[in-house]
Amino acid sequence: MSGQNNEQMLEMYIFETEQNIEQLETLVLSSEKELGFAEDALHELFRLMHTIKGSSGMMSYQSLASVAHHLEDLFYYLREQQPQNVDYTILSDLVLEGIDLMKVELQKIKNGEEADSDTAPLIKSIEDYLQLLKQQNGAESETAVALAQPDSAGGFCARADAVTYKAVVHFAADCAMENVRAYALVHSLQAEANVLQLFPADLDDDDSAEIIRTKGLTVYLQSELEAEQIEEIFWQTPFLNKLELTVVDSLQSEEAAWDAAQLPKQQQNNHTAASNSVISVSVNKLDKLMDLVGEMVIAESMVIQNPDLNGLELENFEKAARQLHKITSELQDLVMSIRMVPLATTFHKMHRLVRDMSRQLQKDVQLQLIGEHTEVDKNIIEHIADPIMHLIRNAIDHGLETAEEREALGKPAAGTITLEAKNTGSDVLILIKDDGRGLNKDKILERAREHGLLTKMTAEMTEKEIFELIFLPGFSTKDNVTEFSGRGVGMDVVAKNLEMVGGAVSVSSVAGQGTVFTLKIPLTLAIMDSMNVKVGASCYTIPIISIKECLRLQQHTLLNDTEGYEMLMVRGECYPIFRLHQYFNVKNAVTDLEKGVLVMVEHDKKSFLLFVDELLGQQEVVVKALPAYIKERYQSKGISGCTLLGDGSISLILDVGGFVQ
Amino acid sequence: MAKVLVVDDAAFMRMAIKNMLENHGFEIVGEAENGAVAVQKYAECRPDLVTMDITMPEMNGLDALKAIMKINPEAVVVMVSAMGQEAMVREAIMSGAKSFIIKPFKEDHVIETLKKVLP
Amino acid sequence: MTEMAAQEYWVAEEEEDTQKGKYLTFSIGKEIYGIEIKYVTEIIGVQPITEVPELPDYIRGIINLRGQIVPVMDVRLRFKKEFKEYNDRTCVIVIQFENIAMGLIVDSVEEVLSIPDADIVSLPEIKQNTNRYIKSVGKVDEEIKLLLDCSKLLTEEEMESLAEI
Repeated sequence: MSGQNNEQMLEMYIFETEQNIEQLETLVLSSEKELGFAEDALHELFRLMHTIKGSSGMMSYQSLASVAHHLEDLFYYLREQQPQNVDYTILSDLVLEGIDLMKVELQKIKNGEEADSDTAPLIKSIEDYLQLLKQQNGAESETAVALAQPDSAGGFCARADAVTYKAVVHFAADCAMENVRAYALVHSLQAEANVLQLFPADLDDDDSAEIIRTKGLTVYLQSELEAEQIEEIFWQTPFLNKLELTVVDSLQSEEAAWDAAQLPKQQQNNHTAASNSVISVSVNKLDKLMDLVGEMVIAESMVIQNPDLNGLELENFEKAARQLHKITSELQDLVMSIRMVPLATTFHKMHRLVRDMSRQLQKDVQLQLIGEHTEVDKNIIEHIADPIMHLIRNAIDHGLETAEEREALGKPAAGTITLEAKNTGSDVLILIKDDGRGLNKDKILERAREHGLLTKMTAEMTEKEIFELIFLPGFSTKDNVTEFSGRGVGMDVVAKNLEMVGGAVSVSSVAGQGTVFTLKIPLTLAIMDSMNVKVGASCYTIPIISIKECLRLQQHTLLNDTEGYEMLMVRGECYPIFRLHQYFNVKNAVTDLEKGVLVMVEHDKKSFLLFVDELLGQQEVVVKALPAYIKERYQSKGISGCTLLGDGSISLILDVGGFVQ
Repeated sequence: MAKVLVVDDAAFMRMAIKNMLENHGFEIVGEAENGAVAVQKYAECRPDLVTMDITMPEMNGLDALKAIMKINPEAVVVMVSAMGQEAMVREAIMSGAKSFIIKPFKEDHVIETLKKVLP
Repeated sequence: MTEMAAQEYWVAEEEEDTQKGKYLTFSIGKEIYGIEIKYVTEIIGVQPITEVPELPDYIRGIINLRGQIVPVMDVRLRFKKEFKEYNDRTCVIVIQFENIAMGLIVDSVEEVLSIPDADIVSLPEIKQNTNRYIKSVGKVDEEIKLLLDCSKLLTEEEMESLAEI
């Protein structure tokens, strides 16, 4: 087996096990809500545990395999015995604990570390719980369910010309499940012979495996076949190691025969397979695919706009080129759509958070999910799970009142958190709503004043401006989590996280009725509408979303402030000028402000002007990340990524927000 | 070259079996993630051999085995089992499974078993 | 059984052996340097480089390698030697070290050599700028090849800035 296969297997193992664990968690949480495990859920839980156990065993991840194994046992018991006295909270806690441990182990594996957590305490509690269940529900029901078993006593008459043989067989030392192997052997013998007696007699008893392992299996059989032919049948059995076949005179009247024709009734299966099959692909491959498609779009324009074609009348070529263009753009759309994944997984993770928090804080909380099928680019999803979690945690901790307070206010005792997603075309909105006490304006102002965050007279501030104070860095610190009863625990982190993916957060609130946080995130990071500008011989790319307008110097007044910074007066407002050629140290660029173009950009309600040589035009570009090596070393924030131009050269994408700082 | 249909709900397991068998000159003609798909694929591609997981969603391995034996009583099906599933393996053998392999596998065990059961 | 299964199942990768002891040599000025061949992914001529501001001078910028954006390092500048205009002998050796892809700009590429371990002498720690990136010295037909330490070449700059203070 090659190394690449190993890597692929590991990748697949991690991917699938993660999915399985996620599914487990969802099932446990929804079952807990219904105060019991439905039969279907038990089957599914058992199956998922079984799969994790099997895969982990193959990969030799013992900690995962053994936790899954013990939980599998637990669900086996629950499924088969359907005991009545079950405390589902304890059960859920136990399973969730197992899930958490498996998550930890999987994370270690992902990081290339040893998955070596101590599973003993958890396994002990699972075993204890299973023991308890068995005691509470009567131990006698413990025996395994009886399956269709072969009849060992059948009316068989020995034929006169048949010979009776005695065979003693041994299996290979480490083949496992010897009794089942013996069972299979006996089954295949029946086709040609009459099996009279066995030792050990009861192959259904799993203890018989040990007997066969040490003493071998003894079979008395009767057949018209020659010894050699009989031996041949025996040797067809996998892992048969040793066979002694002897002819015996006769066997006493004990005739054992199998009812071979006892095929269980076949179920009529009208089940047509779900043909809409799905495969899993690693994100790396998708990224690569998108890169290639981007390359192809560029290559296409290099061919179609090739200077060698200038001035030629090429009707057929044009036709073929149009066709090519159509296909490439369809391909690009398709690749983009593949990268889109529903928010459901992220949303469902919140169930666990809500459950744990409502327990911890003794608040009854319901989580309502709306629009979980809304799709967002895979890369963006990774960045919004934490902000959502943070906001929900805050809503439960600070937003919702206690049950007593709620009842006193005439609200339902259980608080409701609504997590909603909707698509607005170019953006996705995610709303986190609670029906709690709402933001307290006075407290926010008081706190902002304490921390010197107020820049305006409070009387002049709108409600919205007051609420938005909570997103300022420094508004809250960790030590006031408990004493501060409003909101604002690390809200600046939320805002920052969203900014990283080009999103924004806003808040609205009505006292006594609740608060809504709205996260606005772009559909995708991968393609962006942008303006290419020229500075010297270089090209830079500015996101259209940041551009307000483009100006020439002539119509406006140039000012220099006391420190020599250039400013431009536009419609009565003063805007600082930022020369790109200076920042990027570009030679041969236009330095005379009158000869170039000023691009007014805005970020965070602050506007300024970027000075460039000329505008090259508006274009949709495929955004590529800077190499990690560069990112680690490039400390300031003027560049967010890069893109490839039609001629194969690289253009840096400017991050206007970075220039503000 | 024997044609094999690999049935398992875990893509990881399918990959493991596939890698193993391909190293030994088997040809994987199909994969199925549950019993229902397995039966359909069996009817379509008529493999020489089926490796059949037991615990699967939709239709489990036992039911799929039975359905396949109905399509072709000579079908060679090897169950993919785990310790603890003895009773189900016995039922599978009664229903026509030719042999079984035990997870986690050893490559040589799997290959020996499959070579033995092929006609 | 599980452990055994795993051992038998995963067969060790053998590919690395065929690359062992092989070095790609290149020149900078009069010196010949060697780099382990297993890190080298390809050798290309000098490409148009897009400069990225505010980086150390030896990081010349980024290039487009068939859609992959790769940073390029001028090894001359990294070794604190004088900058030399690029010409048609100048090469970019693209290496992949752990997760970092990097283009190394060198005066010219020489050859691929096998240097047995017996002919390699490790260097004592010398506090001199260029030698910090050299792991050992290989002898081939009485000629000296300075063998580079990729990890230090790519990652060691914190030390440098400290040393400059």
